[in-house]
Amino acid sequence: MFEKILIANRGEIALRVIRSCRERGLRTVAVHSEIDADALHTRLADEAICIGPADPTRSYLHIPAIIAAAEITGADAVHPGYGFLSENPEFAETCAQCGLEFVGPLPDQMRQWGDKVTARALAKSLGLPTIEGTELLEDVEDAIKKAESLGFPVLLKASGGGGGRGMHILHSKEEVRAVFETARTESRAAFGNDALYFEKFIERPRHIEFQILGDKHGNIHVLGERECSIQRRHQKILEEAPSVALSDEMRSDMSATIRRAMSEVGYISAGTLEFLLDESGELTFLEMNPRIQVEHPVTELVMGIDLIGEQIRIADGQPLELPERPLSPRGHAIECRINAEDPDTFAPSPGMITEFHMAGGTGVRVDSGVFGGGRVPPHYDPLIAKLIVHAPTRVQAIAKMRRALSETIIGGIRTNIPLHRRILAHPAFEEGRFSTRFLDELQA
Amino acid sequence: MKLDLDQLRELIRLLDESNLTEIEVEHDDDRIRVRRDPAPLVGAQATQSVATAGAASSEHPSDVPAPVDENGTYVTTPFVGTFYRAPSPDGEPFVEVGDSIVPGQVLCIVEAMKLMNEIEAEVAGTIVEILGDDGKPVEYGDRLFRIEIS
Repeated sequence: MFEKILIANRGEIALRVIRSCRERGLRTVAVHSEIDADALHTRLADEAICIGPADPTRSYLHIPAIIAAAEITGADAVHPGYGFLSENPEFAETCAQCGLEFVGPLPDQMRQWGDKVTARALAKSLGLPTIEGTELLEDVEDAIKKAESLGFPVLLKASGGGGGRGMHILHSKEEVRAVFETARTESRAAFGNDALYFEKFIERPRHIEFQILGDKHGNIHVLGERECSIQRRHQKILEEAPSVALSDEMRSDMSATIRRAMSEVGYISAGTLEFLLDESGELTFLEMNPRIQVEHPVTELVMGIDLIGEQIRIADGQPLELPERPLSPRGHAIECRINAEDPDTFAPSPGMITEFHMAGGTGVRVDSGVFGGGRVPPHYDPLIAKLIVHAPTRVQAIAKMRRALSETIIGGIRTNIPLHRRILAHPAFEEGRFSTRFLDELQA
Repeated sequence: MKLDLDQLRELIRLLDESNLTEIEVEHDDDRIRVRRDPAPLVGAQATQSVATAGAASSEHPSDVPAPVDENGTYVTTPFVGTFYRAPSPDGEPFVEVGDSIVPGQVLCIVEAMKLMNEIEAEVAGTIVEILGDDGKPVEYGDRLFRIEIS
């Protein structure tokens, strides 16, 4: 077994990894930028190494600094968290070359699933129902031809994109002509890659994703779905498990399909397959995220599993302990992402946190990387805490989350808590009738 | 003293007109601090490494601000790694306390990912103190040498 793990991340996910390590008796190394010298992950790890200035390209994204920190502390393995270097195959390869175990999939698996067009073709060949889409677009004339054969409206997406950025809904060939070159320039600037493609635009879909774990012995465990339709600017802010939109039969059928598909490619570590659910009840594969996700705790609560702990066991070569029958979700879990941002404009709100009291009580879990008297630096993600509740039913979980939000006091910065309260008070949310358009319609 | 933009502008103007790097004003429980990074007097420049290993290049320009206090200026490390005072285990140290140094002179090596990064002086002066321990790890920004500028 590993003895020491370096966590190449910051904030709540770094703490989350430290917690699983500590419970397993593993020592931890935090890396941090200069501005994070007093951050919680820096203070709670067994050792902490300053790897660079606040600018993430010279600290949390700077591979030589992270590897050097692992070398001088004698770490055996590196957990990348999410974001930063978590989906960078060169980083995973460099770790391997330096004798460090990377806690995640193989570099080639990251490449396969990281490119969205390749991923869709692979998923299709593995028997997963996939969303209709095109190959990469060569130029504007090719784009018009491909859009017409796919049928308007279409969604223009960046192959290297993510986080909901760089997407355009187009209704006609005139709109394709108007947007194509700008989108290509934007994509090059944002993702360093100007490859674009079209997907069939689905009017009011739900975003449903399935959690998987694969070990190094060919076992695949499918751990049910998460409902992530509540999004602002295509970024998830509230997630739940299970989804009210899936029947037990749909869940077990899709789980079996995913298990077969991912066994065929021998997927290793945690991964998430994202689907759209259209109004007729069809699930179609959208993309695969080869890493742990922000919203993993809702799955942990309803499935009774430590996903980060399992990732570490898998990286260490231990086999998954598979249940005899597929697990069913127990009860209902909801997560609210608390962001340091304006609840209406979503403008970031970094600064000093003067007061910080998070909710407690039965069935409430808090994953956070900040504290009262600490600062939210402007250089990183605005996520400061995840408030997660677990209750026997969805109705009880909603009541518990409302209660938990009412207990939460965060002073000095603005947060999106008022927005969460509005979502939880909305009749359509209570009834489970919503799509990814929910927040746009709520704000309109 | 709720944050008043005019007061803040005034503080920034004061800072600009002075040769101070920091102004802090405290009133009741409120506190405002305005600071700027000192102009780098002494930095440390990473030069070409000697080892191979095919690893990623760790070259990037150094802009670690050189800390200055009444005791002189410091050379800090722009790399996480292992600090070496000599080019080889049984070699002579690059510099000793009391040595005069010139810009471009190699002061030490910081090894990261099997790459030997030479740290050079950026100013002329005298080594007053050696703060790094030979063969021991250093973190980004750690002080390695104290220099008296000539």
